[in-house]
Amino acid sequence: MIQVNNLSKIYNEVAVLNISDLKIKKGESFGLVGNNGAGKTTFFRLILDLIRASSGNILSNGEDVSKDETWKSFTGSYLDEAFLIDFLTPEEYFQFIGDINGLSKGDIDEFLNNFAEFFNNEIIDKKKYIRELSSGNQKKVGIAAALMTNPEILILDEPFNSLDPTTQIRLKNLLKNLQKEKNVTLLISSHDLNHVTEVCDRIVVLHEGDIAHDILTNKDTLKELEKYFAV
Amino acid sequence: MIKWFIRHQFKEMFRSTVWQKNLILNIIMGFFLLVILVEALVGGIVLADKFHEIFPDDDPVKKFNSFLLYYFTFDLVLRYFMQQVPIMSVQPYLHLPVKKSSLINFVLSKSFLSFFNFLPLIFVIPMAFFQFADYYPISIVWVWIISVFLIALTNNFLIVYLKKQLVANPKVVGIFGLMIAFLVLFDYLNLISFSAFSTLIFGELLKHPLLIFVPAFLLIFVYSLNYFFLKSHLYPEEIKIRKDKKVDAISNIKYLKTLGKTGTLVSLELKLWWRHKRTRTIIYMLPIFLLYGFVFYPQDIYSEGFGFLIFVGVFISGGLMLNYTNYAFSYESNYFDAILANNINIKEYLRVKLVIAIIVSTICFIVTIPYVFFGFKILIINFVAWLYCIGCLSFALLYTATYNKKRMDLAKGAVFNYQGIGASNWLAMIPAFLLPIFIYLPFGLNDLPYTGIFLIGLIGLIGLLFQKSLLNIVVKQFFKRKYLMAEGFREK
Repeated sequence: MIQVNNLSKIYNEVAVLNISDLKIKKGESFGLVGNNGAGKTTFFRLILDLIRASSGNILSNGEDVSKDETWKSFTGSYLDEAFLIDFLTPEEYFQFIGDINGLSKGDIDEFLNNFAEFFNNEIIDKKKYIRELSSGNQKKVGIAAALMTNPEILILDEPFNSLDPTTQIRLKNLLKNLQKEKNVTLLISSHDLNHVTEVCDRIVVLHEGDIAHDILTNKDTLKELEKYFAV
Repeated sequence: MIKWFIRHQFKEMFRSTVWQKNLILNIIMGFFLLVILVEALVGGIVLADKFHEIFPDDDPVKKFNSFLLYYFTFDLVLRYFMQQVPIMSVQPYLHLPVKKSSLINFVLSKSFLSFFNFLPLIFVIPMAFFQFADYYPISIVWVWIISVFLIALTNNFLIVYLKKQLVANPKVVGIFGLMIAFLVLFDYLNLISFSAFSTLIFGELLKHPLLIFVPAFLLIFVYSLNYFFLKSHLYPEEIKIRKDKKVDAISNIKYLKTLGKTGTLVSLELKLWWRHKRTRTIIYMLPIFLLYGFVFYPQDIYSEGFGFLIFVGVFISGGLMLNYTNYAFSYESNYFDAILANNINIKEYLRVKLVIAIIVSTICFIVTIPYVFFGFKILIINFVAWLYCIGCLSFALLYTATYNKKRMDLAKGAVFNYQGIGASNWLAMIPAFLLPIFIYLPFGLNDLPYTGIFLIGLIGLIGLLFQKSLLNIVVKQFFKRKYLMAEGFREK
């Protein structure tokens, strides 16, 4: 589904990301861990064609993401608040995302219904603009919007961060179901090793832009990772 | 403690990104402000010196006093739109052993420095010494000056209080503006004389200088009003300026819903413009663009030539459009990644921006057709200026807008706010206004003014005919620049 070829990103002559070859299969749940500055967000931004690669390319479904825009129609993503249009109400924002993806009013209503539990009565009908929501609630809006179009690829940057415990658990279940039932290719990054090992089949550790480990998750993975990060 | 407050305020000011990144721009701005200030001072002195010649039939003291109440009413309206309410972020001090009262007094006294408080002095002081001093002893003249200053300060604190108290509701101001219009009208028709009332009260003040305690009392009153309000509401969540909690109804515009994806993008632009202070102030400034002609058309020096009228025409039809297209992408800096990562067709996205620019310019042109009153020539010039705006300027500015990669903060007003405006935006504005004049010039100098005017219109028309290819050029440019823009916009 996603193929990375000789990818590098260089800022001020320092390589912040350097991946020579990486394949992510369809339906795989791919977890990215690493300390701050390891290149996780840079990698996700490159997949979403938000920054220009210094060399190499990324193929999504066979097409170079920087040359062809078809990936937009099957990729859902939420990296940070810059993905939200903060002067809209959540309803207006979902309407907007729905409209540009050609969803009908029925589709949007059904979506809002399905997410009612996830929103926990804190998002809809609050007569608030997104900029007035707490950071946790903003994140819920962003994640929900990324899921709205039933994407084949879902990219989330630290989705568990700043969510309350209940929502974290709901989100974990939601992601696991998506992968199992709809065969969604899942790319998430996280600082929380517990969550990421629970959700992902495969974990890649980035260190200063390079792939330090590439592990298929098993019962020892969490311990292995904890050992790696305990310095 | 006050010492610390002042120190922190200075640091806040000088460490703001605007200052640090734009030193040269600030020097230029400072220079212009200085020029304006000197001009106002000279203007004030000349006006005072010649006042009895401007109104030869009236008693200068009475005549000047008759304007004062009007000035202060107008001052209130102007302050409502333009004056910033002094807010120091008090939160970091609240848990410290600082007296609430000194905190509040500091916050309030910050607004003493408002430009509007000193504006009347520019006219009043020269007037006092050139005219009033001929009739009254100097001590009484000072009482009069100080009273005017006290009223200006009263206005200052009144507006601070109102802005904190009232829901920021433009309707209230509209009604207030209408009331002033009626007062002027009634005054003109001799039904009620507001100006006579103004003459009367300031005349009494000159007769009985002790009456100065009235404005002094008013000032103390509004100041305490503010003080006690803040004292009982000194919680961060309560001292914010109250906002209308309701969400506006732009989403419910039915017509836009029938337009599909185009409608969705247009509706987003409308919300962007209506829900941010910076863009809203630009909309409020629209009358300045539209009424600009009144400054020049009645004067023969300008209305007999062509060159300057072309400039005025471009300004009228293109003023608002320029504010829209020149920063088309910076306005969206907050969510530019969302535009790129979502399933938005970029060509459609850019086309919507162009169409909005053209509609805005066209409305400005249509609304100002009544300028034909000043001559058919004005209409012809404004017509070609409009063609130039929609056929040429719209594309060119959207193209150059891609060169600005500065994040723009929309939460603050637009007046004298240059945050997020890059050198490219300034550079783009010069040819925008000069190009049509350069086109006209060779013909104008050879006594063929209308050929030059015709050519400006023709260029606009050609631009419109080739809009598809021009749009493609803009699209290409956008794809070339999008990474740089996105990277710049992410930097806070």
